[in-house]
Amino acid sequence: MFLRSGLHHCNKAHRNVWPLCKNFSNGTKHTHVRPDWNKAVSDAEKIVGYPTSFLSLRWLLSDEIANVALHLRKLVGSSHPLLKTAKNLLYTGTNNMQAWGLIVLLISKTVGHSRDINEIEQDKSAGVLHSQRALAEVTEMIRTSNLIHKGLINIYPGLYSEEHVLTDMEFGNKIALLSGDYLLANSCAELAALKNQHLVELMSSAVRDLSEGEFVGRQDRQNNPLPPKDLHLTQSEQNTDLKQRIPKDNQGYNSFLENNSKESCLSIEEMSCSGIKSNENNLTTQKASTLENRPMKRHKPKTIRDIIDSLPFLQNNNEDISILFESHSQAVQDWTNRNLLLGASLLGKSCQGTLLLAGHDEAVQQLGYEFGKHLALSWQAFVELETFAHYQQQHTPSSDSNPPTSNELFSLVSAPVLFHLEYATPESRDKVVAQIDNGTDSIFNVDLNTVHQEVSQGPGVLLTKLLQHHHSTRALNVLFQFENSDARNALIKIIQVMDNS
Amino acid sequence: MVYISITLNFYPGTVAQWSQNQTQDQHQIHTSSHVHSPAPCPSSSHPSPILSSITSPVSVALTCRSYSSQQQPPVPELNQTVDPYQLLDEDMKDLYRDIRKELISNTNQEELRTIATYYFDGQGKAVRPMVTVLMGRAINYHLNRNELTEAQRQVAMFAEMIHSASLIHDDVIDQSDFRRGKPSVNVVYNHKKVAMAGDFILAVACQMISRLRDNDVTLTLSQIMTDLVQGEFMQLGSKETENERFAHYLTKTYRKTASLIANCSAMLGGADDQLSEVAFEYGRNLGIAFQLVDDLLDFISSSDAMGKPAAADLKLGLATAPVLFACEKYPELKPHDHATISRTRKHCVEAVRLANILAESPYQKGLIVLTDLVLNRMK
Repeated sequence: MFLRSGLHHCNKAHRNVWPLCKNFSNGTKHTHVRPDWNKAVSDAEKIVGYPTSFLSLRWLLSDEIANVALHLRKLVGSSHPLLKTAKNLLYTGTNNMQAWGLIVLLISKTVGHSRDINEIEQDKSAGVLHSQRALAEVTEMIRTSNLIHKGLINIYPGLYSEEHVLTDMEFGNKIALLSGDYLLANSCAELAALKNQHLVELMSSAVRDLSEGEFVGRQDRQNNPLPPKDLHLTQSEQNTDLKQRIPKDNQGYNSFLENNSKESCLSIEEMSCSGIKSNENNLTTQKASTLENRPMKRHKPKTIRDIIDSLPFLQNNNEDISILFESHSQAVQDWTNRNLLLGASLLGKSCQGTLLLAGHDEAVQQLGYEFGKHLALSWQAFVELETFAHYQQQHTPSSDSNPPTSNELFSLVSAPVLFHLEYATPESRDKVVAQIDNGTDSIFNVDLNTVHQEVSQGPGVLLTKLLQHHHSTRALNVLFQFENSDARNALIKIIQVMDNS
Repeated sequence: MVYISITLNFYPGTVAQWSQNQTQDQHQIHTSSHVHSPAPCPSSSHPSPILSSITSPVSVALTCRSYSSQQQPPVPELNQTVDPYQLLDEDMKDLYRDIRKELISNTNQEELRTIATYYFDGQGKAVRPMVTVLMGRAINYHLNRNELTEAQRQVAMFAEMIHSASLIHDDVIDQSDFRRGKPSVNVVYNHKKVAMAGDFILAVACQMISRLRDNDVTLTLSQIMTDLVQGEFMQLGSKETENERFAHYLTKTYRKTASLIANCSAMLGGADDQLSEVAFEYGRNLGIAFQLVDDLLDFISSSDAMGKPAAADLKLGLATAPVLFACEKYPELKPHDHATISRTRKHCVEAVRLANILAESPYQKGLIVLTDLVLNRMK
């Protein structure tokens, strides 16, 4: 049932950013708390024993971290991002950082463990193994370590003119580097203590993926990611046979449509409106205003009817939507590749690893990987949507005079922007591309208001919603292969809360 | 005549290649700045006169013969022609190539490949893998086996990889400009990427070790990593009183340097606990001696270059051995290098004693020569 409610998001999206979500590409987010999310998480935590936020206490109370806290004092007053990272880790710790560990524990309990496992290894009341709990903690440590290392500043000659600022920044980098190393080394040690070399190999490769992610694509001088150039052209080069028939600007999109088209009658905008209409009755006014505000006929109507037919929540046909989201779109390829490395790989491999610890065969472990990967990607798409919507709410034209803080900025490689670059009208795309090219040195030179305005009017938000829905559906499909249990229901509930927002 | 060539790295800004003639008791050292070194350290071409009073390392080695256990047949004359570098030429030849291959095969990102392999260009001293392989072979010989196992080789690779990962992170922390005769990696690439490349090397190294499917090896090697980080934290500053400072320094030195050498050389397929202990203790002593000398050289070079003893170390907040000795005995911070030297010699003597427990072989002799090399770096 909740599968069908995905499109509600389009009109209700602008509210507080979801508390759980970390923006992988842009470091940490300090966000507000939503009651339904909190309930889903605290219910889930009860199922696996005790609040997963306790996981972090052990390393939080160690000598080294106490040492770091001492040194952090010296940085107070400076603008080093480590302070913000630390603040987010400590003050929003209950719901923020522990969510991934919680997911690992819930999937562990959902699937259960092999009968061969020694009773001593089991935490009977929680229904998970002690080793699985350790793995959940390691997952959090690896992720935190990566976030901290991402929070370094690239110091280059001329960046800071004042000597004391430079000193502060260098010191902040040093502490950030050491703290991240501390977590990484200790996660290695904890993994080694589990005495499962396959698991060590798996999790090491997740660390490798995280570090590799930092190198993907165009970046500004602080390594903030920028979208690839000519996103809309890349695909056309691969589909040379389509080149002659389709105008260059829409090739990527049309090539998909060509494959599926029966008739062409709806534009992207119309698709979004009809989707909303089919799910909610009171939206006629919204539709009217949408049509009024937007120059609907700016570009050639897209052949959309078939896309709608192929949407999973409209037709329960998952295969066709997979084609859009897994092979045909350059935007999706770029987005997926980046976010796989930057997080989905870690959650996928942790979920795989926990089933390995439980003594399951490779086929079941693979299911764990699929679940974790799709859940993480769905989360990512969701965070991006929320951030994008949140930006809109805060920066209507009247508040232009207050520049947004970096916490409220949407990423230039978030799915809505990437989709826009691939599928929007040439005029709109060129406007966005021009803005993005301003960001080669620093993304703060990009006029996000313009980008936001253009992207809001394009297909990006809706396609991102579909992308998110695609991944939640895939995650749910894995869950449905396991027996009904309270842990499984908690996972479903978490996905449901996300999908219904 | 054996020709040993070691590339030494001092901390900020100094690289020198030491060519060392090891045939007789008198050690003639030529120092010359590395071809690519843009900033040769003045002190490397003018060794401090303080050091000329050190006893010849060979006589050190010979004196320690008396320490050797009784069951070992007495060796009439220590064969000084053993050159560890030449001895391990075959083993070490492909080491860097294999490490590069391992790293490159793990990513498609060109820039990551470049940064991660930056220090695996064969210009390093490769002390860690060398000790590991030497000890591995010496133990193999002791146990009547011949070949270096693949596992032993991989541990040697691991040693060098972890060392490089920590060098890369050190470069970001210390903001050093030159290392191993070329610009430090943090000068050429941006800090975040360098930090990530360090994590990447560590992850690939762990992956490689996990494929040995040996729980004990993974456990021991993960201990090295926590030691390294704890050592780094200790370097940040100490809360100890004056009296405890030197103990603090030695613990730090163990964690930062010796743990890696000791644990890696103790990783031996088939050696019993007693033998592993010998290997571990040898590595520990050698590692501490090695770091003491490193700090001493650093101290001397900073004194000479800046005309102000230990200024660099004090500025960086590091507590190195000479500074500590100086603080103990000379409030005005006059270096007291002899204390460092005698301490270093003590560790080398102990290392030689341990090496002599092993059956005599070219590799076992190599282990002894290595202690000489450590002491000789001071001249």
